[in-house]
Amino acid sequence: MAISKKTWRRLAFSGLLLALAGGGVYWYVATEKFSDTGKRKAHYNVQAQEFIREFERDNESANFKYADKIVAVSGRIAEVEQADTSVNVKFIDSASGSYVIFAFQDQHIAEARSLKEGDEVSIKGSFSSGLFSEILGTTFITFKRSALNK
Amino acid sequence: MKRTFILFVALVFSATLLAQKKTTTSAVIAFDASTAIDELPKAVNKTVIGALDTKTGKVQFEAAVKNFAFTNPSIQNHFNSAKWMNSDEFPKFSFTGTINELKKIRFTKDGEYKTTVTGDLIIKDVTKPITTPVTITVNGNEITTSASFTIRLADYGITGVPIDAGKVAKEPTISVSASLK
Repeated sequence: MAISKKTWRRLAFSGLLLALAGGGVYWYVATEKFSDTGKRKAHYNVQAQEFIREFERDNESANFKYADKIVAVSGRIAEVEQADTSVNVKFIDSASGSYVIFAFQDQHIAEARSLKEGDEVSIKGSFSSGLFSEILGTTFITFKRSALNK
Repeated sequence: MKRTFILFVALVFSATLLAQKKTTTSAVIAFDASTAIDELPKAVNKTVIGALDTKTGKVQFEAAVKNFAFTNPSIQNHFNSAKWMNSDEFPKFSFTGTINELKKIRFTKDGEYKTTVTGDLIIKDVTKPITTPVTITVNGNEITTSASFTIRLADYGITGVPIDAGKVAKEPTISVSASLK
């Protein structure tokens, strides 16, 4: 059975539409970027010391609870540490030595540099994990793409 | 008097021990698996724990896999997925090694020293020996280290279509830099 010219045209048009849609999806996925954490709403607002204790009490549950969430952590800065060309900010539990550490999103590195030890702040970041360090013998809780919570 | 003397000696001894172990919680590891056809598979982790014992030359690093930050959400999800790093089950990378030719490095004298480090890299519970050139810079009380090497993903059981298709490098480059105090 011969395919009519009209059917060929329809098939070609459908193919073109599919190719465009596929290309669009690929383009979207390939160019997608993480949004600015500073503009995102925190899923949880917590106090640093209580947050650290939550991980020390039950690490597995705490990791499950905060997985891939934006968390705003408030507390007194214990340390601002140089990390290559940027800085990281830490809240430390002085009793156990366990700590929360924030690596800042590129557009928020300048505000991180303005922070200093002793400042009372709230920092919002993308929670990564809370793990036990064999090197330090303490729990360390890491955040990426962080921003000051204003 | 005797008790005070013992306490003094103990304090001096522990201070010496502490001084020889330099640490950081902000070492940086960059992972670059980009290729000519895909620039996306690269990430950086800025919260790596590092330690260097200047007496024994022992070097240690520990990194939370989930704290590798990619620019692209899909690539980051792939990186952490069960077929790749499986970060839920294997949440840490670690390295333990020793500086070769430790005697060449004078940790009390400012300067740049080039040497090698040999040790075990553990990814997904797979241990592989590596030796890599390292530059150690002494500047007063601060010691900066930097190294760069490649790993074979297949050695750690990481395979898949994106690698075969050339979208992810078979042998990504790992760059490590740390300022230890």
